[in-house]
Amino acid sequence: MVGALPLMDAAFESRGGTHRSSVWRLLAATPPLAFLGVFFVWPVFAILLRGLRPNGVWNLAAFSDVFSDPAMRRVLWFTLWESIASTVLCVIVALPAAAMFARLRFRGKRLLWSALLVPFVLPTVVVAVSMLGVIGGGGLTGVNLNGTVWAILIAHVFFNYAVVVRTVGATWSTIDPRLEESARILGAAPWRVFADITWPLIRSSVAAAASIVFLFSFTSFGIVLILGGLSHRTLEVEIYDQTAKFLHLDIAAVLAIVQLVVVVAILIWFGRSQRRRSVLVNQRSASETEQSAVTSSQRWLIRSNLLFMTVLFGIPLGLLVVRSFSTPSGWGFGFYQALTDSRGGSTSFVPPIDAVGNSLLFALMATVVALALGLCAAWAIVGNGSDVSNSRFSRWTDTALMIPLGTSAVTVGFGFLIVFDEPPLNLRSSLWLIPIAHAIVALPFVVRLLVPGLRSIDPRLREAASILGASPRRVWWTIDVPIVGRALAAAAGFAFAVSLGEFGATAFLARPDRPTMPIAIYRALGRPGDYNFGQAMAMSTILMVLTIVVITVIDRFRPAGVSEF
Amino acid sequence: MKRLCVVALAFAVLAGACGSSGSSTKSDAKVGPVLVNDALPHFDNPVTLRVLTHDSFAVTQSVLDEFEAATNVRVELMPSGDAVAMTNAAILTAGNPVADLIFGFDENLLGSVLENNLLQEYTPQRLSTVDPSYVLDSSGMATPIDHGDVCVNFDRVAFTKSATQIPTTFDGLTESSMMKKFVVEDPSTSTPGLAFMLATIAKLGGGDDTSANAKWLSYWKQLKGNGVSVVDSWETAYYGSFSGGSGKGDRPLVVSYASSPPAEVQDISLAVESSPTGVITDTCYRQTEFAGILRGAANPRAAAAFLEFMLGSSFQADVPGQMYVYPVVTGTQLPDTFAKYTAAVSNPLSLPFADVAANRDRWIAQWSALFR
Repeated sequence: MVGALPLMDAAFESRGGTHRSSVWRLLAATPPLAFLGVFFVWPVFAILLRGLRPNGVWNLAAFSDVFSDPAMRRVLWFTLWESIASTVLCVIVALPAAAMFARLRFRGKRLLWSALLVPFVLPTVVVAVSMLGVIGGGGLTGVNLNGTVWAILIAHVFFNYAVVVRTVGATWSTIDPRLEESARILGAAPWRVFADITWPLIRSSVAAAASIVFLFSFTSFGIVLILGGLSHRTLEVEIYDQTAKFLHLDIAAVLAIVQLVVVVAILIWFGRSQRRRSVLVNQRSASETEQSAVTSSQRWLIRSNLLFMTVLFGIPLGLLVVRSFSTPSGWGFGFYQALTDSRGGSTSFVPPIDAVGNSLLFALMATVVALALGLCAAWAIVGNGSDVSNSRFSRWTDTALMIPLGTSAVTVGFGFLIVFDEPPLNLRSSLWLIPIAHAIVALPFVVRLLVPGLRSIDPRLREAASILGASPRRVWWTIDVPIVGRALAAAAGFAFAVSLGEFGATAFLARPDRPTMPIAIYRALGRPGDYNFGQAMAMSTILMVLTIVVITVIDRFRPAGVSEF
Repeated sequence: MKRLCVVALAFAVLAGACGSSGSSTKSDAKVGPVLVNDALPHFDNPVTLRVLTHDSFAVTQSVLDEFEAATNVRVELMPSGDAVAMTNAAILTAGNPVADLIFGFDENLLGSVLENNLLQEYTPQRLSTVDPSYVLDSSGMATPIDHGDVCVNFDRVAFTKSATQIPTTFDGLTESSMMKKFVVEDPSTSTPGLAFMLATIAKLGGGDDTSANAKWLSYWKQLKGNGVSVVDSWETAYYGSFSGGSGKGDRPLVVSYASSPPAEVQDISLAVESSPTGVITDTCYRQTEFAGILRGAANPRAAAAFLEFMLGSSFQADVPGQMYVYPVVTGTQLPDTFAKYTAAVSNPLSLPFADVAANRDRWIAQWSALFR
């Protein structure tokens, strides 16, 4: 849980309402958990069973095959340490940026805040080809990290930086700076102020972001394949190979179970570390806590962060944009014009406007589903802030919603194929599966945005309302909704971004042709020639611009007070 | 709150209702000839035909429209990943398929397609027009549609600039002057990568040798010693590592297709000798793509009609321009750039598909043991 202020759970106890409220909580938890049950647990369970119990007879030999294979142990070990290293590295480099966004005012701050999400939506192969142009040897820097673990770690930071900066930055910005000032006046050294005052307050949001980064790095696929060379393989790559390439469903099932066990264990550990030592403080609105850079150390903070972002994002993404304008006949919009050339009316031609339209449509549908379910889930997790007994229920709900992020896309995708094959759920070739799959990925983000928003509501407001005779629904509608509405907008932003960039489970579905922007990019990249490559770069640039526009619009609804991404 | 949750549930149920397409009666009865006086049949009632393809499938819309107009069949294309992922997804749903027809599995997948009883029999009447060397399946399940060759491509500009001789054979690739100049795709993750590995086995032999000293593996050891780079996919190899044409990398030799060089030519008046990239024809490995009617198809007769259409003159002539591959029907006219800039591959390497099916996983394991 992102719980900025979990102690609130314990702060109020109204005995009479407890029973009724737990019924409500169960009711609220039902739609998201049912959704997860049908569209995640069932398909995954079915594909595992197909592997371990083919033709109705258990076949568990694959377990000993996998565990006795030193290569598999190496894969597991590498997956674990690369994801932990990526998470730690990402948190370390992202925290100063979170501090900058939380505390300082500078020109272009809002735009930069929105632009942070761009790397998050770009297709892996596009970013990787750009990165190879920078660190692939013979590239811009002459440095060759291709095939090293450093290339993997850098790429993981590239993709996940926004998750940490936006989560922690938002929480940090609500912390009253006077707390830190008082400590400083009392003579504490800067590191002491951070360790004793700031860290305990941001710690749970760091853990929330870190667990998402960990899951993304743990299930990293494209990055490891493209930048990691031959010697680096993750569990996810191995599961993909065993499933989609070799159809060794038994080995794939064992690996998927290993993946699941590790993911659940790590999530429980994160959940516990978030529970300990949380503090109740007054929250401040972001505009009250930021100030212009006055001291030299503040200016240095801004400069070093901007330099870091320029190097990490500016160079590879700049190269991508430059390449989209660099045609064989000189600088110009040739590749953008080529996007509308149907190559003699090919069926593989995707009119760019259609790709944009499809992407936006699917993202809208996924966002609506994720928000509706996320609201139910967040409300079930928070309850009315009055009962402690259900905190275990809250933790399990939260953990359950996170698990899909740590599960192989090919496991889910192939699971869809074998379970949704007859009425009433003959969905396996339906377009609906695309927004549904996106919503599953977006759900944890939504929940982690809404929970702190809901938690920030003073339970006394609700109590006052119900003492005055308001029904639970009325309380929710008049108290919770207005406050949480803004967090909802922020959640919508992340859900939208997730859906715009998602290219996982849906890639394995047999679906009627309705290409999104990432699919159009992959299609262009799959063919040789300057114009195909150029079109992929042009479409990627359009995707970047679209992301900035959409996220800027959504960020406009940013809450003034409560913590959010 | 509650209302929102109800909306969400309704959404999921609605999704279920909308997604279920009316299931037609499925029959495995043998499909008889569909052509009427050598022309495509016309179905009295409109039919929807679902075609499972890999992501690289393409046809000119107007050519497809001809088929739809002539037959009263509406075609729904279903791109489903690369050829391997598509085939395995089809195997997973064998007997209760998502589509009626599957297109795009090659001879390296043919073995597992037949073994898993994925298809139902139909021998197109137009098969007689196909060059017999592409008809590999004698059981009448898999129909050849097109072919291509996986070959080493070279960056002519780079070789001219450095005044180095362009290699013409497998052995040439291991010479010291080719140190760190060659990039290949991983055979376990990439289709052209697999084809190139099979090319070395076909050329150098030792496919039966399970040891690490198999002849073909010794060749790979030499390549490794010569700094060959192995990457995951064609995209990374061609755009990320290859220096020729539209490639952005620094290696002048790459495993790609015989049909890649025409794509690098913008101006048809360019002399062949000065086109940006070229092909080492001695390294070419034959790839034939097949189609077949899926067992349990809802509309097997419409699928049969589509197979006939794919062997018809308009589709065959359309194949090079759309998918960068060659027609299998003899005497089909090639587009100008194709005819001009693709080298004639007279004797491409190949292996019997049954051998590939029986040994592919072991070969990949042997290869992986050397490179991982």
